[in-house]
Amino acid sequence: MEHEDPRNGESTHRSSKKPKISSKFISEPEIRDEFSHHQPHVARINNGSFGSCPGSVLAAQRQWQLQFLRQPDAFYFNTLRKGITASWKIIMDLINADHVDEVSLVDNVTTAAAIVLQQIGRSFAEGKFQKNDTVLMLHCVFQAVKKSIQAYVTRAGGSVIEVRLPFPVNSEEEIISELKKSIEKGKSNGRKIRLAIIDHITSMPSVVFRAEGIEQVLVDAAHSIGSVKVDVKEVGADFYVSNLHKWFFCPPSVAFLYCKKTNLSSALHHPVVSHEYGNGLHIESAWIGTRDYSSQLVVPAVLEFVNRFEGGIDGIMKRNHDEVVKMGKMLAESWGTNLGSPPKMCAGMMMVGLPSRLCLNSDEDAVRLRSHLRDCYEVEVPIFYQVLKDGEEGVRDKDGFITGYARISHQVYNTMEDYEKFRDAINQLVEDGKTCKILWIE
Amino acid sequence: MASSLRTHTQTNSNTSAMNGTSASASDPKSQLSKKPRLHAPPQPLFITPSDVLFEFSHHLPSIARINNGSFGCCPSSVLSAQQQLQLQWLQQPDHFYFNQLQTRILQSRNIIKDMINADHVDEVSIVDNATTSAAIVLQQIAWGFAEGRFRPGDAAVMLHYAYGAVKKSVEAYVTRAGGYVIEVPLPFPVNSVDEIVQEFREALERGKQNGRRVRLAVIDHVTSMPSVVIPVKELVRICREEGVDRVFVDAAHGIGCVDVDMKQIGADFYTSNLHKWFFCPPSVAFLYCRRSTESSDLHHPVVSHEYGNGLAIESAWIGTRDYSAQLVVPKVLEFINRFEGGIDGIKKRNHEAVVDMGEMLVKAWGTHLGCPPEMCSSMVMVGLPACLGISSDQDTLKLRTYLRDKFGVEVPIYYRAPKDGEVGPVTGYARISYQVYNKVDDYYKFRDAIIQLVHNAFTCASLPT
Repeated sequence: MEHEDPRNGESTHRSSKKPKISSKFISEPEIRDEFSHHQPHVARINNGSFGSCPGSVLAAQRQWQLQFLRQPDAFYFNTLRKGITASWKIIMDLINADHVDEVSLVDNVTTAAAIVLQQIGRSFAEGKFQKNDTVLMLHCVFQAVKKSIQAYVTRAGGSVIEVRLPFPVNSEEEIISELKKSIEKGKSNGRKIRLAIIDHITSMPSVVFRAEGIEQVLVDAAHSIGSVKVDVKEVGADFYVSNLHKWFFCPPSVAFLYCKKTNLSSALHHPVVSHEYGNGLHIESAWIGTRDYSSQLVVPAVLEFVNRFEGGIDGIMKRNHDEVVKMGKMLAESWGTNLGSPPKMCAGMMMVGLPSRLCLNSDEDAVRLRSHLRDCYEVEVPIFYQVLKDGEEGVRDKDGFITGYARISHQVYNTMEDYEKFRDAINQLVEDGKTCKILWIE
Repeated sequence: MASSLRTHTQTNSNTSAMNGTSASASDPKSQLSKKPRLHAPPQPLFITPSDVLFEFSHHLPSIARINNGSFGCCPSSVLSAQQQLQLQWLQQPDHFYFNQLQTRILQSRNIIKDMINADHVDEVSIVDNATTSAAIVLQQIAWGFAEGRFRPGDAAVMLHYAYGAVKKSVEAYVTRAGGYVIEVPLPFPVNSVDEIVQEFREALERGKQNGRRVRLAVIDHVTSMPSVVIPVKELVRICREEGVDRVFVDAAHGIGCVDVDMKQIGADFYTSNLHKWFFCPPSVAFLYCRRSTESSDLHHPVVSHEYGNGLAIESAWIGTRDYSAQLVVPKVLEFINRFEGGIDGIKKRNHEAVVDMGEMLVKAWGTHLGCPPEMCSSMVMVGLPACLGISSDQDTLKLRTYLRDKFGVEVPIYYRAPKDGEVGPVTGYARISYQVYNKVDDYYKFRDAIIQLVHNAFTCASLPT
């Protein structure tokens, strides 16, 4: 399965500005080559949405796909499970889990959330939980997870409490204080809080949650692996989920769902029930009918890739973080705006305030701006509309309230030029007196 | 049928004779021809055998691949189209997500809608596979129990030969939720559709005992192991007569294998894989849901942004993943239409060839087919010589592995427990498939492997566990 990289050694005859001291680590031209399938001229500063996958991992994936197509029966009987086991082991080590049984591979965090929430729904339906027992979630929880809570918890008779976190966030203390308020509410009238869904940023050691009477904690860390250090024992959550195709260079798509071994976790099932039903979630998830499992099988190839970088995945994480902070500050300074959260609370992404003169006053305005940037400036970056809460002191720039934020990402393929392109595009729009309402979309 | 066998043999020898004397202008081998041609030969109306060979040249050549039924197949022109789509996503995923993905999924759904004679594209959802479809339909049944619309003990009916994964899904979603499950026993070998109809009627009677309502009937269109074609149209009619709430036809082997006409069959839910007999890459299936109030309550279990907007829309976005297998349906249609008669022509020729091959094998081995030819699709159950001593499910797996490793033959084996009093019973049946890439030699290889085993007095007991 090893992809013989024909590019080893070729980099010596590419012109480079700095003399190479050692060819031990991947070089800039090699990185460009690995991501040469990315559309050129697009400032792709949105790694956070759909991730990225280097050419050498894609090649490894094609080898797996071809192996299946050549002789699928032999692949099914002799190869598939071994390949998935190798991936389990790598992830288990990466996240400091105790046992491969605790690691299930699924398509994405959306699927992982459905698995956990379906079990909550069943517990309500089977009378294990009382009607109106609570599930706690953050207000800013990903919309797909919100819908999943609706589909499995609300529908089954559970009640849901939303924790409103302030934005921009200034400190961990603010988060903890809001959480405590919601926990009180969730326990009112003799109810039990059956599950709290939090993200990695707000996750404190789960022992804190249990001390407050929360039965189970699910950490939705969609962005975490490859972006921040993940130590599931330190976090102590019952369930921890993260996508591997966002920041860990896997092809679309694959995620892991970590389940701490407890009585409750053995009750989880993959919703697509197949032959392995009842043999444990990680075994069930390893066969959910005929499909292409290749993105789950390339984890070893990904590990090889990240270890070509100085410091491996830790080095990548640190450099991404430092760069995105640097770029965020550069943009905020150029536009006269702010950063959406303190640098220490960001990983490879950063929220940067947009000039108020753009008059971004609705979600539709945000979509218009994003499309305009894509179509007319070749900049790909998600834009968010930030509603001002009543009584909340908004953040201002010299012309008004800042209501729009861009979420910039930095991954190994990004260059300074990407952010300069974005900087200049926004400055151009402001200079031309354009507001979101009048933007032209191709 | 004999003529199709001869045609096939003839075509076979033509293939080997084709080097350097191509009838197709697009065949690169024409460049090797010694005589200069004054005019380019006319483009053949239909795909040529050497084109077919090329399209499946990625299949392992040393294996007699007579098991299309398990994992299907995909021609290289469709795989190339798929790679193009995968690349487009990787190049600029946001652009693809906002501007391409949904349009292309809708295009695939519309093609499927036309092929299966559905009324409206809303009725056609695309999912990964029939296993997923089963989970979708059965989850709705579970909600019926949980929300009190069904009474504990209300029944679901399924065939004894229902696919193992579907049986587990029924356990997970129906039994667990308080439903009562009835299995319809089916004879095997089977001699006529009447035997099946009779058993089904009796099972429904049992289902309705004690004031139970039968909430769902799960009926295979083509059973997996052992494989026979079930008279679904008639069974659906009986379900309506007997007041069964809803009928779900599991046609994992559906489109490209049997006639798939939603209005003719009349089921509430119908699912078929597209990667088994419809040349799509792994994996993709459709789930048809006849429009009604109940069908609006079906949900994909992986809940995402589109929750509540209808199953078809929900299924078109279940989080970031590779949707490319769902997007190549137009390219597959192009491929299929290169064959005479399109998918119907392929179906007919596959059926005739597999029956030919089955009859050739049973004659060589002195055994029998598992059902009459009219109850086969592109697959047929072929009795294996009793002296092989197949006496358990484990034996079938061991023998299958042995055939793969020692003889280069890939074929699934089914164990049929002997009935009391049977003398020298046939207890093992091979499920042979026939698809456009198969050749007579594949089946000769299998024939000869078994003959050799019999000659060597081989028994399954001699195989290590």
